[in-house]
Amino acid sequence: MKILVAVKQVSTLEEDFEIRADGRDIDPDFLIHDLNEWDDFSLEEAVKIKEAAGAPVEVLAVSVGPDEVDESLRKCLAKGADRALRIWDDAVLGSDPIAIARILAAVARREQPDMLFAGVQSSDQAFASTGIATAGFLGWPHAAVVANLRYAPGDKTAVLRRELEGGVLQEVTIQCPAVLTIQAGINTPRYASLRSIKQAAAKTIEVLSLSDLNLATTDVGEAGSLSRVRRMLVPPKSRAALIEGSAAEQARKLADIIREFKGVAP
Amino acid sequence: MVRGDSVTRILFEAFSANEVRLFYALGYAAIAVFCYGVYVQVRKYRRGAALELDGSLKDRVVAMVAAVFTHRTIDRRDPAAGGAHRLIFYGFTLLFIGTATITLEYDILEPLFGIRFWHGTFYLVFSLVLDVAGVAMIAGLAYMMVRRGWLKPPKLDYARPDRVPGDPDYERSAYRLEDWAFLWALMIIGGTGYLLEAARLVWLEARPEVWDTRTWSPVGALLAAGLKALGLTAAGGGTLRHGLWWFHGIIALVLIALIPYTKVKHMFTAAGSLLARDPLAAQRLPRIPDSKAQPGVATITDFNWKQLLNLDACTKCGRCHEACPARAVGAPLSPRDVILSLREFANKALEYGSLPDAVDLDVHGKAPGQVAMETLWSCRTCMACVEICPVAVEHVPIIVELRRKLVEDGAMDPQLTKTLQTIHKTGNSFGESKRKRGAWTKALPFTVKDARKEPVDVLWFVGDYASFDPRNQKVSQTFASLLAEAQVDFGILYDGESNAGNDVRRVGEEGLYEVLATANISALRAASFTSVVTTDPHSYNTIRNEYPDFGGKFSIEHYTSLLCRLFARGALTVRAPLKYRVTFHDPCHLGRFNQGYDAPRELLALLGCELVEMGRCRSNSFCCGAGGGRIWIPDAVGTEKPAQNRIREAATIPGLEIYVVSCPKDLTMFEDALKTTGNEGKFVVRELIELVREALPIARPAQTEVSIA
Repeated sequence: MKILVAVKQVSTLEEDFEIRADGRDIDPDFLIHDLNEWDDFSLEEAVKIKEAAGAPVEVLAVSVGPDEVDESLRKCLAKGADRALRIWDDAVLGSDPIAIARILAAVARREQPDMLFAGVQSSDQAFASTGIATAGFLGWPHAAVVANLRYAPGDKTAVLRRELEGGVLQEVTIQCPAVLTIQAGINTPRYASLRSIKQAAAKTIEVLSLSDLNLATTDVGEAGSLSRVRRMLVPPKSRAALIEGSAAEQARKLADIIREFKGVAP
Repeated sequence: MVRGDSVTRILFEAFSANEVRLFYALGYAAIAVFCYGVYVQVRKYRRGAALELDGSLKDRVVAMVAAVFTHRTIDRRDPAAGGAHRLIFYGFTLLFIGTATITLEYDILEPLFGIRFWHGTFYLVFSLVLDVAGVAMIAGLAYMMVRRGWLKPPKLDYARPDRVPGDPDYERSAYRLEDWAFLWALMIIGGTGYLLEAARLVWLEARPEVWDTRTWSPVGALLAAGLKALGLTAAGGGTLRHGLWWFHGIIALVLIALIPYTKVKHMFTAAGSLLARDPLAAQRLPRIPDSKAQPGVATITDFNWKQLLNLDACTKCGRCHEACPARAVGAPLSPRDVILSLREFANKALEYGSLPDAVDLDVHGKAPGQVAMETLWSCRTCMACVEICPVAVEHVPIIVELRRKLVEDGAMDPQLTKTLQTIHKTGNSFGESKRKRGAWTKALPFTVKDARKEPVDVLWFVGDYASFDPRNQKVSQTFASLLAEAQVDFGILYDGESNAGNDVRRVGEEGLYEVLATANISALRAASFTSVVTTDPHSYNTIRNEYPDFGGKFSIEHYTSLLCRLFARGALTVRAPLKYRVTFHDPCHLGRFNQGYDAPRELLALLGCELVEMGRCRSNSFCCGAGGGRIWIPDAVGTEKPAQNRIREAATIPGLEIYVVSCPKDLTMFEDALKTTGNEGKFVVRELIELVREALPIARPAQTEVSIA
């Protein structure tokens, strides 16, 4: 039995940051990296299923990314993943979720998991489509925003609850294998102590290239993508001011502001 | 007066040979039962993990003997109980030695070598000494009975904050029964001893060598006179003596036999515990040996033998219970009950021939003898318990070892989990970017040297709170201006500094602590400086006491002693006395942990403040509640916080103007507590640094830099 968990190392911005010279991304100097928040929950869900199962279950954490991503995969190993697999080729740079999903689907074909979990979305790019696109490539059933799951490895079907807008839950039976995107809050992710992270450092992380997955460089990167980032920008900040003084003074100041901006924000 | 060989202790006179044989049989049986009990106890301790004590055995023995014979540790904060215990201790010890000497002569020296000394003047003097010893012991026991029966101090009430009535191990009546049985056993042995002596005198009143020397046993002589007045004849005295002899003898033998099975064993376990005492038990927590597969303590056998011995050393005196800030505010923790729970657990699990299954050795949980995680997370590691324990029970390392297991299992408050992850990611508990650590210096009119780039005389280790908390940043700016004013050549590590790790270690996240300590040690090593100063007592403690275990030996001091020196050298001067009426809160990590009691008080005196001490001060200072990582765990809603309890104590000082603190976390905790207790406006909380600033002349001409290290 095997559960594949697709994880991503996301970036968070420091308070002051700069946009890269080409304008299409943030200068990496200003980024702090960590495991995507949603992936923490999907990994925990897989590990919980493993721990509750009678038969042996392998939890496989998979990520697409360069060397630095090993740090997040090690965290997954510390939290209970049995194996970690990373796919990288410089050609992957510039991939959109469709191209990434193509890679993940190739991994799934190779590994033949009984279930594939992904987070609902990544906290940095928020496409919320990688998991579902992977299901599309595999031709597997899928369910997004899973907030509750009843599944034991080997089951033909799983019963899950999806979170809809307005506080409504939808209970769904799904054929397995399936791709589920897991919602934050489905469980309480465990703490990976520094000791367990250090011990996980002794485990090897398998690294696959595109050719290992029978993919061409044109399947990934901008060539394999259906969308492309044009530029990154910071929206102008809206302003607010408290106008003080007597009624007449307030009116005068307000008139000045209207005159300056002519009723239109710059 | 009769002198010479005939004056001696009457032993088996008028006993049949069978009676003597019976007595010896009982004596050997008692010793056998005692020895078996000792064997079981030693086997129990040996089932714990191995531990090498450091330091010389001689120093340990000297320290233990000094503590036992001076009763210094028992006198503290309860001199009446200490005095009574001293009477019992010396009375019992002399009586025991007296009895043992009889055996020495009668059973060993005389039959083997023909040596006799138990007669004549020696006997008479000893007789007098033992009579006095008996009075001392009975007086001490009587006070202890009055204390338990009538005075009833709250610390002797065994009510447990970590259990609720109805829980299987809530009831502590067995302990009460044992306490009273012990007191009465000694009392009866003492009382019958005197009666026996008196009956013997009456019985042998015709013998001048007995009757005429009776004044050497004054209590016995007095009782004999009384018995005679009541009409006791010599024959009656003989019968009474015979009966009492057996009664007294059997109770004494039973007591000896039961020593290893009852609280009486504290004679040995307390001494053993004092012998194994670690003077830095709470200040320098143990490293996790590389050989250990799992960190911390999961099962009772994960404790080392010394910790198991600690459990048995506890005499339930309740001083830790009384001193504990968590207990004082109603948290489900009493250090005493952690120890007693684990003791009960150890006795049940480890006193039999074979060990139970591993699952029955797990000490975490809510079953009888187990310790609940709520209990462990209530601890502030403030060291109040360790500091006051008269028998060197080291609660804090025991609690932290238990927490290490909880951290490994992730069994902790979600807020704490988040903070630990944040510290791992950013190196500080505020989740701020590393490069903002030195941002507070931008508001200063001068540049603070970057100690990574240029040599400095004094390297200031700032710490998280003083670097990132807005209120404490103001204090940091003030301290920087003081150093500049005093022409001190100083610098900071800017983003080279990480959280010092003191509290991370006390939470039980040893892996993260190692990462932080190692990072700071290499940052400090890379810098060039003469000494380190810190405004943070928590950082002070770990750098001073724990970094050496990781290869980082630095000369470090708290800012209060540095400022004292700067005043003494005239680098700083007071413009005019401040004349405030103040009280001073000793930070745990400066005071109890590192004995920094005097420097802040000297500074307050220099500044011309009138210091009014709170009842709980110096070694008995009451923790603000922030220690041991508790600053990252929200307090239960609706319960009193330790800081509030403390502010209420300060509020009872008439005319108090300023509550002075010298720790960044204290400033945060107490400014908050001042508001939440409704004392805002009555007095203020201020950092000592701010008072120093206020007392200085406004500006001074620049001078050449002076070395102060």
